Formats: sequence, structure tokens, C-alpha cells
Amino acid sequence: MAASQPGTAVPRTANLRALIRKHKRWDAAFGVVGVLSLMVGILTLAALFAGMAIDGIPRLTGDFFVNFPSRRAGQAGILSAWVGSILVMFVTALFAVPIGIAGAIYLEEYAKKNWFTDVIEINISNLAGVPSIVYGLLALGVFVYMFGFGQSILSAGLTLALLILPIVIVATREALRSIPQHIREGAYACGASQWQVVSHHLVPYGMPGILTGVIIGMARAIGETAPIITIGALTFIAFLPPVPGTGSPPAGLFDWLFSPFTVMPIQIFNWTSRPDPAFHQNAAAASFVLVIMTLGMNGLAIWLRYRLRKNIKW
Amino acid sequence: MSTSTITLPDHPPPLKARSNNLDFYYGSFKALKGVSMPIYENKVTALIGPSGCGKSTYLRCFNRMHDLYPGNRYDGEIQLLPDAVNVLAKDVDPIEVRMRISMVFQKPNPFPKTIFENVAYGLRVRNEKSRSYVEDKVEAALKGAALWGEVRDRLDESGSNLSGGQQQRLCIARALATDPEIILFDEPTSALDPIATGSIEELIGELKHKVSILIVTHNMQQAARVSDHVAYMYLGELIEYGATRDIFMKPKRRETEDYITGRFG
Amino acid sequence: MSDKHLSTQFDAELSAISNRVLEMGGLVESQVAQSVYALSQFSGETATQVLQHEERVNAMEVEIDADLSAIIARRQPTARDLRLLIAVSKTIANLERVGDEAARIARTVQRLINTGVSSRLRLPVADLGFEADLAIAQLRKALDAFARLDTAQALQVLKNDDQIDQEFDGLLRKLITYMMEDPRTISSSIDLVFVAKAIERVGDHAKNISEAVIYIVKGADVRHTSMSDVEDAIR
Repeated sequence: MAASQPGTAVPRTANLRALIRKHKRWDAAFGVVGVLSLMVGILTLAALFAGMAIDGIPRLTGDFFVNFPSRRAGQAGILSAWVGSILVMFVTALFAVPIGIAGAIYLEEYAKKNWFTDVIEINISNLAGVPSIVYGLLALGVFVYMFGFGQSILSAGLTLALLILPIVIVATREALRSIPQHIREGAYACGASQWQVVSHHLVPYGMPGILTGVIIGMARAIGETAPIITIGALTFIAFLPPVPGTGSPPAGLFDWLFSPFTVMPIQIFNWTSRPDPAFHQNAAAASFVLVIMTLGMNGLAIWLRYRLRKNIKW
Repeated sequence: MSTSTITLPDHPPPLKARSNNLDFYYGSFKALKGVSMPIYENKVTALIGPSGCGKSTYLRCFNRMHDLYPGNRYDGEIQLLPDAVNVLAKDVDPIEVRMRISMVFQKPNPFPKTIFENVAYGLRVRNEKSRSYVEDKVEAALKGAALWGEVRDRLDESGSNLSGGQQQRLCIARALATDPEIILFDEPTSALDPIATGSIEELIGELKHKVSILIVTHNMQQAARVSDHVAYMYLGELIEYGATRDIFMKPKRRETEDYITGRFG
Repeated sequence: MSDKHLSTQFDAELSAISNRVLEMGGLVESQVAQSVYALSQFSGETATQVLQHEERVNAMEVEIDADLSAIIARRQPTARDLRLLIAVSKTIANLERVGDEAARIARTVQRLINTGVSSRLRLPVADLGFEADLAIAQLRKALDAFARLDTAQALQVLKNDDQIDQEFDGLLRKLITYMMEDPRTISSSIDLVFVAKAIERVGDHAKNISEAVIYIVKGADVRHTSMSDVEDAIR
């Protein structure tokens, strides 16, 4: 850019304008690149989803949802799979949520800042990167054999709970950190104890972030296959875990926890590996259902966060 | 030993609290050096001084706010009368102290709860179960903070929907609801517009008949308007303490005069 | 610790107003000197000049007061600055009255000339001149003390005030003697009594200005106190 001499007729404004125009061209170019990149990702996903939907939707009849798997593709259904998924998710949440939240609260509010706490924090971050099959192997050794829970919903739930624990802990810590210090000080100044500050203020105000973390963790867990396979979920389950109080002799309150089971990803995997194309259609349909379930959970997380955030202003 | 110039009134009113040779350390940094000062009952005492002089640090010793952060250490005592309890003693529970001494902060910090819940929080923390008692206290506190008329019909709306001045009055109501003996004000109007500032100053003038007040302000005209006694601090030391009228007409220390006339430099 | 405000404008405003006060002080000082000269020379011209300048004195009082109010409104002065401005207000009121005294003397001169009185009557005009010199010296000392904020000088003025009072008493006795000796001089002698009184009041105003100086520097209001109290206040 040639510098203009003092007193020349070309005003500096003209040079500035040219510069600004050049910057704006770069802005536009970047915008285009960004949109294109986004499109690549979205269109790929959309194409995959559309392919799955086209294949699978015709198969989504009522009995698809209430039938057990069968050797005959036309009669096969996902009943045991989606029931199994829901039950496993329930156990996962039951363990991951309280332990994760409590752990995060301890680390963020109670723990003294020393080397020991640092070690714990580093390890939690690392846990998020451990391959899920390693969790499966751990679960196999500890839950299935050492504790003797067997290849059951309980073991699966515990395994996935461990898997998503780092996600819950990190989300909770972030939620707690985002609460401004002056709110804490205001509560302490009223004479609140540390526990009262946590339970009256931090957890309620952090709920949007905590719930988001929980649901995102769950959305991940619902699709995990490797650890479940490792601890031995079966692929052909033609029965449901026993409802407490039914059957003869009557099932106990917790018998369902120890029952064999299957989950959606495994059922899909099983059908995909069969040569019969009709089963491939079943797999597409089941995948479609699984994606809808996952999207549904993510949508729930977003909606909940929006609703809860509205009331919290500082 | 401190070299403070302290002028006590000829007929001193009853004493509510006093600090004796108070030192305070942020880690190894000595932020307060031997501060000894009276706080009289039902009077407003203002702390003035340039940034970093230790006035907020001193204020926050009174309700043990420093305990919330690691590495802080008190040395010396703050006596709360009439029972002569040393607020800073290790065997005195900070929570008990905070139930006798409330605080209003610089940035209004109502909780993201309803107006009612905000004011009632101090009572909730004491496990006060009686609904009617709490309602009465809340109403009295909101009246005491000159906010009752504006919010009586919307007690279950969120406190965050109020204007800045109203929010600060809500915080004052919250501080009042537990009948504290002293209220600490940490630059309560620096985030507010002039009209809201005026209403808060007016309120402080009325509140002092019920509680003793210690206020930190960097606005000297505010200190002159609002307080009965003034303490000028610099670099962690108390330079001069006296009646407001004397300090602003005829300060005894050159440092004090330089500060309040704007010659500080 | 500097003596200058962080706001140099404020410093400039305070200096400006102090200078205006000294300017006014110089003006009234010369008014008094001129009016006494007019009397000693029976000069109608000088007397007229004094009366013309009297308007300027009054105008200055009003202007300085307006500036004063503006500074107080804008700067919210405290302590020493506040005392300075309060003292300025009192000082210019005193100076304005000194101006009034000078005008009164000038009018007396005019009246004496108009009624045909002249130096054929043996009136102690020279003694008046001596009293006037004392009073003008007091005024000058007081203004000097104001300029330098010098309490020692101010104390001197307070102590010397008695001298003027004694001079006045002496003059009064002399004039009474003249009146008793020659009743034709009664009317003009009474005029001269008033002139002597006016000059004595100039001395009082100088005393007031010195008290104001002590107020600025020490914050002590020494009006209506004994000399030993004043000395204590200055220490």
C-alpha cells in the first residue's frame, strides 16, 4: 500500500476505503468456506440418515416394536432391545448422576487445592479419552466376575455409568464454575453453611448445565456397543427381564437387574451381520429408531436447558 | 504500633464494636497494619481512602468473609459488644458471626429466586419453620428497606427482574430480615445511578436508628453526606479517625487533608 | 504530598479568586488614601474620582461572590479549600465596606467644599492623615497576610488595632476642644468626627480580614476572643 505524501491530492480516505473493501472480500470468502464446510458435514449426515430412513421406515410397523427377535426377518422386532436399552440407561443414570454430581461438588467446593486434588483432576480428564472397550474389559473382570453380578443389566449399567462419569463430572464442574462468586458470597453472608450454599444455591442454579451434561452422557451411552458386548450382552434374547412380582415363582424386586438382556446397538449389529437383506432392512429400521432416540435425548437436553436458564439471571 | 490520629467524641455514644490492633495477611502480604478503631452504636462509620488502602479488607474482617478463601490470616481482635466476643477468634464460628453481622455488596446480588425467598433466606438458613413468622419478618424487612410498597403484589416474582436500585434495596432487606446488630456496606452505590444512590443514602440515614453501620465508599461526598464518623486509611494503616464534620472541615493530619481535597498525588 | 490539586483547573480557579481579592484590596486601599488626600487638600476633583471608582468596588464584590458560588457548586471543596472560600467571602464584604468608608469620606469632602469651609479653619486634618496612614498600613498588612497566608502577620494586625482606637480617641478629644473653643467649627468638626470614625472602621475591617486569614490556615474562628486565645490558636 503506497503511503500518500503529505499534501498530495489523493486523500487518505480513498486508501482506507480500498483497504476496507479488501477486508470485506476476505470476510465474504471466509463466510463461503465456512458454509461449505458445514454443508459437507450436514449433507453427509443427512444423506446417511436419509438412506437409513428410506430403507427402514417401511418396516416401522406396530409389531416391529412389540415383537421379539426371530429367525424370520418379517416377524423380528426390537422389543427386548429397546426395553433393554431403557433399563440399562436407567441403571446408568442411577449410578452416574449422584456419583458424578457429588464428585464434582467435592472437587469444586470442598477439596483443598493441593497436589492430590490436581492428580484426581488430571485423571478424570484422562478417563474421558479411554476407549470404551477398555471399560468393557474392566467391567468384565470387576463387575461380572469379581463382584459376581454376572452378564446382566446391572453390570452393563455400571459399566456405562463409569464411561459417562467424566462427562457428568466435567459438566457439573463447569456449571458450578459459571455461578458468579458474588452469589456465593451473598449466601455465605446470610449465615449459610457450606452445605446450605451447595444445596440451596449451587446445585439448583447449576441444574441446566448439570442436566445437559447428564443427558449428553446418556445419549452417548445409549449408543455404546463395545463394552456391552465385552461383558456379554446376548444377541438373541426372546424374553424380557422379569417384572417384580410376576411369574411363578414370583420374581423378586431386583431380579430384573441380574437378568440377561440385549440393547439396541447390539441388535442392530446382529442383524447387519446376517446375509439376508430383509434383516438389513430391519437393521436400518432399528438404526432409525436409535437415532431418533438419541436426537430426542439431545433435544430434551436443549429444551430443559432453555427452560431452566430463563429463570436464572445475574 | 500504629501512628493513627484518633479523635474520640467528647461524650461518646455506646460502643457497638471495636478493632484492637488488627493485622491481616493475604498470604505473606500484610494488608492491614495495627488498625484500632471504635464502631459506635446506631451511628454510621465511613471508611475512606484510595484504592488498595485496605478499607474493604478491613470491612470484610467483620463478618469473616476472608475465611472463604485460602491463605488468609487475622492477627489481633475485633470485639463485638456488649458481650465482648472476639469475632476473629478461632473458636468462634464464622456462621454465628454472620448471623449477627450482615453485609450488602457493591454489585447488587439478589439470588435467582423469588423476592420473598430472597428476603427470607437468612431465616431459612436458621431453619425457621413458622410460615407466619417468616412472612411478618419479610414484610418488616421490605418496609425497612423502603421496598414494600413497590413489591408487595409480586413477592413471588424473580428478584432479578427489579431495577438496579430496587435490587440493592432487596439485598438490604435480605440483610435486615435477621435483625443484625451491624450491617456492613461495601461501596453499595458504586454500581447505581444518582437517583438510586440518593435513595440508598436516604435509607442508610434511617436504618442507623435500628442498626450500627459500617460503610466503605470511594465517593467522598457520599461519606460526608451519610456518615457520623469517618476513618481515613492509607496502605493498610488507619491515618485518622474523627467526627465527619471535623474531618471535612478541619482534618488534623496533612495526609487526610490532601486526600479529601484532591491533592493526593 | 503536593500542594497542588490533581485538578489543575481547580488550582487555577483558586489562585484566580485570590488574585481578584488582592486586586480589590489594592483598589480600596488606594480609595482610602485618595479620599484622605482629598480631605487634606480640599480637592473636589479627587473626591469625585473616588466616588466614581466606588462603583467598580461594588461590582468587584458582586463578581467575586458569583465566582465563589460557582466554585463551591462545582468543586464541593472541603477542609482548607472550603475555609479559604468562606474567608474570601467575608474578606470581600469587609473590603466593600472599606470602599464605602472611603466614599463617605469623599462625600464629606464635597460637602465641606460646598459649604465653603476651607483651610482657613484650623482643623486637625493632619492628625486625621496620621490616623489614616495607620489604618491603611493595617489594611495593607492584612492583605499581605492573606496573600501569603501568614498568621504571624495577621496576629500583628490584631495587636495593632488598639493603636488606631487610641488615635481615634485622641482625635475626638481634640475636635471637642475645637468645638468648645469656636462654635462656628461645630458643623465641620462633627463631619471630621465622622471621617475619623470611618477611618477607625477601616482598621476594624483590616482586623476582620486578619481573623479570616487565621481561619484559613488554622481552622480556628478567633472572632470575639482574647489575644491570648488567638496566640494559642496560631501556635
